[in-house]
Amino acid sequence: MNFAIEDSPEQSGFRAEVREFLAHDVPKNLEHSIDPCDMSYEQYQLRRELGRRLGARGWLYPSMPREYGGGDLSAEMVAILHDEMSRIGLGLPPYYDGGGRMAAPTILVWGTPEHKKRFLPPICRGEVRTWQLLSEPGAGSDLAGIKTTAIRDGDVYVVNGQKMFVGSSHGADYSWTIVVTDPRGERHKNLSWLMIPMNLPGITVTPIDLLATGGEGGSGSGVKNAIFFDNVRVPAEHLVGGENNGWKVATTHLEVEHGGMGRLADRRVIYDFMEMCRERRDGYAIADDPDARAELVELYIEAEITRLFAMRNHWLAHTGQPRSYEGAQYSLRRKLSGLDISEKMLRIAGPCVLTKDKRWGPLKGAIEYFQRDAITALHPGATTDIQRVVMARRIGIGGREKEKAGTLR
Amino acid sequence: MDLSLNDTQQLIQDSARDFVRGACNRDVLLKLDRNPAALMDGLWQQTSQLGWTGMAIPEAYDGTGNSMTDVAVLFEELGTGPVPGPLFSSAVLCARILLEAASENMKSAWLPRIASGERVFALALTEAQYGWSPESIHFEASPRGDDFLLTGTKTFVHDALYASDLLVVARVQGGSGVSLFRVDAKAPGVEIRTLEGFLTALCEVTFQEVRVSGKDAIGGAWPALDRAVLGVLPVLCAYKVGGCRQVFDMSVNYARERTQFGQPIGRFQRVQDHIIHIVNYLDAARWTTYEALWKIDAGADAAASVHVAKSVTSESYLRACDFAHEVHAGIGVMREYGLTLHTKMSRSLYHCLGAPKMHRRRLERALNLVPA
Repeated sequence: MNFAIEDSPEQSGFRAEVREFLAHDVPKNLEHSIDPCDMSYEQYQLRRELGRRLGARGWLYPSMPREYGGGDLSAEMVAILHDEMSRIGLGLPPYYDGGGRMAAPTILVWGTPEHKKRFLPPICRGEVRTWQLLSEPGAGSDLAGIKTTAIRDGDVYVVNGQKMFVGSSHGADYSWTIVVTDPRGERHKNLSWLMIPMNLPGITVTPIDLLATGGEGGSGSGVKNAIFFDNVRVPAEHLVGGENNGWKVATTHLEVEHGGMGRLADRRVIYDFMEMCRERRDGYAIADDPDARAELVELYIEAEITRLFAMRNHWLAHTGQPRSYEGAQYSLRRKLSGLDISEKMLRIAGPCVLTKDKRWGPLKGAIEYFQRDAITALHPGATTDIQRVVMARRIGIGGREKEKAGTLR
Repeated sequence: MDLSLNDTQQLIQDSARDFVRGACNRDVLLKLDRNPAALMDGLWQQTSQLGWTGMAIPEAYDGTGNSMTDVAVLFEELGTGPVPGPLFSSAVLCARILLEAASENMKSAWLPRIASGERVFALALTEAQYGWSPESIHFEASPRGDDFLLTGTKTFVHDALYASDLLVVARVQGGSGVSLFRVDAKAPGVEIRTLEGFLTALCEVTFQEVRVSGKDAIGGAWPALDRAVLGVLPVLCAYKVGGCRQVFDMSVNYARERTQFGQPIGRFQRVQDHIIHIVNYLDAARWTTYEALWKIDAGADAAASVHVAKSVTSESYLRACDFAHEVHAGIGVMREYGLTLHTKMSRSLYHCLGAPKMHRRRLERALNLVPA
């Protein structure tokens, strides 16, 4: 076994190349807002610019095939890219592109050659930003119970309905959306996926005031929205994976969303918090207290296990290994250990973790954000309960038959 | 990055799996549970014929010098039994202690005989004031010319009942530091008593004026002993990973087969939750263990990873068994079913080479959390 991300001269060379690229091509005035909701339009555009520069090299979606604008890179190279981005406080992509992150691998499996040629290169090159629209007011965990309809009318689908807890700030070019195409059809056999251009008439985006955005977006999604569709006419060729075949298509989408690829970007804030506890100020360090040390060790062990599960999933997905319950297991762990770590931080450091006050809030408010985010992160990409349901099915105890993991490539 | 087993490791896994399913099937393990000493009548010879007693010993001393990950793959399979016996104590732990601490004379005298399985070593370290740190060692050896006299009690000694030789950790009267003594387990004055109860192969060893030659003494041995323990600990962790794996498989199968209220109990989410806990413990144990092994084999600083792995595996195995009992209810506590072999082993190994609490304390240091 080899747990090293990098263990060949070729890979070390690649790391150096990435580092040099980032040193030159990350816009100099790029700022890191602790709360993604605070990111300005100008800052968002700088990140998009960086995305296009990464995309030009196939590094924005490095594991996608080169012919569609990806990098065809190995598990290690992809890991190095994530690692280097994370080192300068960025995710990959460096802005919220949840729809691209999940639509791209899904279209790769379920799209026609025309779909792939049309939708994948703009995503991979960073020319478009894509949201993913699944949840609705009446359909959260019960995804198959969605009500948004898309009814065929000549060469368009007419979309009506409402999506909930979706998207981000500053708009999107596309929304990768699950809809009902056969309202009278049997459950699970009435769904389809549409790539909806967001500039079509009849779409209204209304921000929702949430505690935080939830970590599942990786780069922090910013403000979440309710999105209303009022007789939106979507070209029929934007339907991907076959009409009423959407539940099958969803298995790939959900495999990614449920953590099947792992996420190597570490949660730097945890390590920064440990460093903060070591720091000595006025002769005092938080870690001087034996109880605090004992909790810090627990926190570290939690973070280590989560890191290892992420690495395992990354390796499984990028080397085409058989997968089963691991995606949902990692997601469950990530959510629960995040919550647990936030509680430990509160116990270790006291009420300062609850403020972003310039004088009293640690790490420029990053810990205060973590406190809110850990709670918010319990729901996006499926609740902890749904992750357990998926695990049980994959292990083969929940359903009548053992469920297979969703196809990736 | 490659988290798969290599070809050698797959061969080791296959032969170990055959051994556990064949020579060490449940009936055999239940018999050994009632009469542990019977292990030395045949099964032990098989393990040495398979070459397992030499895997962790370098070729220079007639072993095969396998990597720690190779050795761990074997122990993960043995843990699925769980196959009891002194293989870890003798051929991994004590062999490594000799390698790290002993003179060339001692190494060439004993390591080849450990590798062949002819001699069986056990580490007699813990005492009435139970602990695995040097501060817990109070047992004294008194110098008699070039020799030493050992009098006192070691307790909760793993695998002493199988041993031909004991490595006794002691303080020399009037000296400082901790020394090691190789003592013939059959020497006059040595008495080994297997402790009865909810534990496997833990013994009391008493020494009554046992004379030990100076040639069998190793002075100032603690740093080397500690290095050796940290270097092999993940192999013991891998054994617990195997235990978790078996407990998981048993629980999954039982949840599929057992029907209540007209359906397999695995369809109840309460039961599913128990099994999800088990698989989460299993995988946490697995990946912390194998990362520590990789660091050791790569010659990297593995201390923090080893402390994490030991903390996680000790707790994981114990709790995996607890959740398995929630799934199995009455059937699980019937000794002939086999689950209790694991439950007992998970308790017996919980403290072995340091409880999670001790390793967490040491992790504080490894992570530079303790003020200088």
